[in-house]
Amino acid sequence: MATIPLSVRGLDKRFGGIAAVQQVDLDLREGVTTALVGPNGAGKTTLFNLITGNIPPDAGQVLLDGKPIRGLPPHRIARLGVARSFQDLRLFGRMSVRDNIRAALEHDAWFWQPGGRSAKLARERAVDSALDRTGLTELAEARAADLAYAERKFLSVARILATGSRIWLLDEPASGLDPHSRARFVQLVREAVADGVTICLIEHNLDIVTELADRIAFLDRGAKLAEGEPQEILRDPELIGIYFGEGRA
Amino acid sequence: MTAYLVNLATLATIFGLLAASLNLLIGYAGIFSMAHAVFFGLGAYAGAQVALQLVPDVLLACLVGGLVAGVLSLCLALPALRVRGEYFVAASLGLQMMAVTVFSEAGAVTGGHGGLVGIPPASLLGLDLSNPRFFLLACVILLVLVLLAIRGLMHGSFGRGLMAIRDSESAAEAFGKDVRALKTLAVALGCALAGVAGALFAFYMAFINVESFTLEQSIVLVAMVAIGGAGTLLGPLLGVLLLLLLPAGLSFLPFIPATQIGTAQQLIYGLAMTLLMIFRPAGIVGQAGERR
Amino acid sequence: MLFLQLLASGIQTGAIYALTAAGFALIFGATRIFHVAHGATFALAGYAFLASSQAGWPWPVGCLLALVAAVAFGLAMDAFVYRPIQRDQGSFFTVFVAAFGMTIVVQSLIELAFGRGFEVVNTSLTMARQVMPGVYLADVFWVAVGVALALFILVTVFLNRTRAGIGLRALSENPELLRAYGLSSRRLSALAFGLGSALVVPGAVLTAMTSGLQPAISAQVMLISLAAAVVGGIGSLHGAALAGLLLGVIENLVISFVDTQWSAAAGFVALFAFILFRPSGLFGRAVVR
Repeated sequence: MATIPLSVRGLDKRFGGIAAVQQVDLDLREGVTTALVGPNGAGKTTLFNLITGNIPPDAGQVLLDGKPIRGLPPHRIARLGVARSFQDLRLFGRMSVRDNIRAALEHDAWFWQPGGRSAKLARERAVDSALDRTGLTELAEARAADLAYAERKFLSVARILATGSRIWLLDEPASGLDPHSRARFVQLVREAVADGVTICLIEHNLDIVTELADRIAFLDRGAKLAEGEPQEILRDPELIGIYFGEGRA
Repeated sequence: MTAYLVNLATLATIFGLLAASLNLLIGYAGIFSMAHAVFFGLGAYAGAQVALQLVPDVLLACLVGGLVAGVLSLCLALPALRVRGEYFVAASLGLQMMAVTVFSEAGAVTGGHGGLVGIPPASLLGLDLSNPRFFLLACVILLVLVLLAIRGLMHGSFGRGLMAIRDSESAAEAFGKDVRALKTLAVALGCALAGVAGALFAFYMAFINVESFTLEQSIVLVAMVAIGGAGTLLGPLLGVLLLLLLPAGLSFLPFIPATQIGTAQQLIYGLAMTLLMIFRPAGIVGQAGERR
Repeated sequence: MLFLQLLASGIQTGAIYALTAAGFALIFGATRIFHVAHGATFALAGYAFLASSQAGWPWPVGCLLALVAAVAFGLAMDAFVYRPIQRDQGSFFTVFVAAFGMTIVVQSLIELAFGRGFEVVNTSLTMARQVMPGVYLADVFWVAVGVALALFILVTVFLNRTRAGIGLRALSENPELLRAYGLSSRRLSALAFGLGSALVVPGAVLTAMTSGLQPAISAQVMLISLAAAVVGGIGSLHGAALAGLLLGVIENLVISFVDTQWSAAAGFVALFAFILFRPSGLFGRAVVR
């Protein structure tokens, strides 16, 4: 039986007196797309930050292919195959679209990358492929900061796509997209899943969630209240109430 | 007259190398060092000692000068990794002031206040470079090689890595970049090149002392980079030319007494710094939102 | 007794450093601008006082001129240098270089006007009197300490009790609060610069009377203010003041043991050490890295 690509056990984080993440357990199984939903401030992005090593947890463990990765610095975790996007994108604004993707592939902290020409060609092929799949080939030399909103969001995905990471943590990847772009995005994600990528996404747009998610985990105030099939979760009146802000204790 | 021009050209070349190395830190890595004269000095003292104690071979002196400055650049890298912005500038200022004290007191290595004198003229693997023109040629070749190397590096993965860190450090980390290692490398390279310039300077002057490695020198270097255009290849060179030629140009103006030329020069470049930052922050050569 | 004497001169120097550093910290704390030209403010105030004395005017006039010079310069920097740069999304580099440029300009202008030498204003305040065996204090000592204390109390009360003062503190931390109070950030920024610049005046006047002025003093004062502000904890007025006091004391005490060169360096060693090991300084808020 294959190990679970990414799993989180009893993850806990407090800021001052406030519990940002409380005893969260989560399994991201291979090929299963999980959506994290919940009201603002529920701790979803914090959970991502705990997984990627940006914030140290107070308690709990993060397991990558069964091996603990808690305490590793973010760049090491990224090199192990965990890719993430940011809600505010954080593109490399002054660089071209192509360079943004190239930069995502260059991990070695030296004056040049190892592997010589063949490695370089392989990287260029990955960049071209990512540009093609996200529809950004025409804009390859444009400055990232000059792109339109939807194009910037696709660049954010292109960076991840090119790295060939097996686990994607996407933070509101489709927010603000027009319907056409949304459809393209959904298609892109489906292709990635078909390639064996394990995806976890934070998403407020429930249409996207229903289209893409195999499972939903519902978080509120740092705690995981429920997890299950989309139909179950999205029909639960209590959860809906919490999500839309009524009837919170 | 030609001797004067050759001398000026040599000085411009050496400072061109120095400004280009500072540009690596400020313009590309975003590390705002006010202590660059320290590494210039380290390279100069190291190169001078090699020339005095071993053999005045310019390659060897540059190598040792660059190595010493590069290794000691850790003193700058440590605060660069821990803090940013204002704090780092303050730390670099502290480092510069401490270094001046060390340079003045470490008599055995630096000759103390008196400095090191009688540095023999350079030779290159046996070839005598005591003729200033040959030395100038050697310096120019070195400068061109270094500039080409910098250009190559900055257009490649190293430059992209540094730019990524500047644009979004957290995203750079999220894509596998070891930010600490990259910054340390940038500092080491920039300071090592400053050390190389220092070794050349020692041969050029045949005598060095702490006066050339003070805060004032660091400030002039920052001015050269800022005025010319940080983050561009040619900007620092332009800054060097402008600031070196300024006193010469001022001496032609009749209403400035000779004793005041230094002050007038300072006034002009201080004004240039401020006005440029207000109206043209990318410097003379840089374009707003420039790509290299 | 030598120790007491050195301590006393250290406190006197420290009081001056403390005031200047507090001015810098006030400006930075409120506007987040690294006002490197603060040293130039000091120089302008000092030389204004000097010029007035040389012209034969009574010292209150000199003090007033110094105050006007300092505040005017501070406000001008805010209005004509920092504000335009920040409007264009100026980076830290841009602000710093511009401020530094102005410091150089001021220093050069002073050099052209007064020459490079030391200038001192002679007053009766500097006559030393024996206070106890081996310890001589001049009146200027009491003036320095007294003025420093008085100003600190005033500024602290101002920052904590008055509307404008609270506004200053809110300016950098919580801009929304400003709107709630109906205060304008532009005016507050001008207030910060005005007040912060005014704080250098006592120190500048006293320095003119004691150790004397020379054009390079703008850079020296800047470095000390910077060191004190960082060691004390950027954002903490009291921290900067305390650190300034400590730096003054340490500098004077160290002189008795080692070469003068090292005593000046002592402050910078402290600065560097703090940044490496405790960047938040003595009292500052935690530095988010």
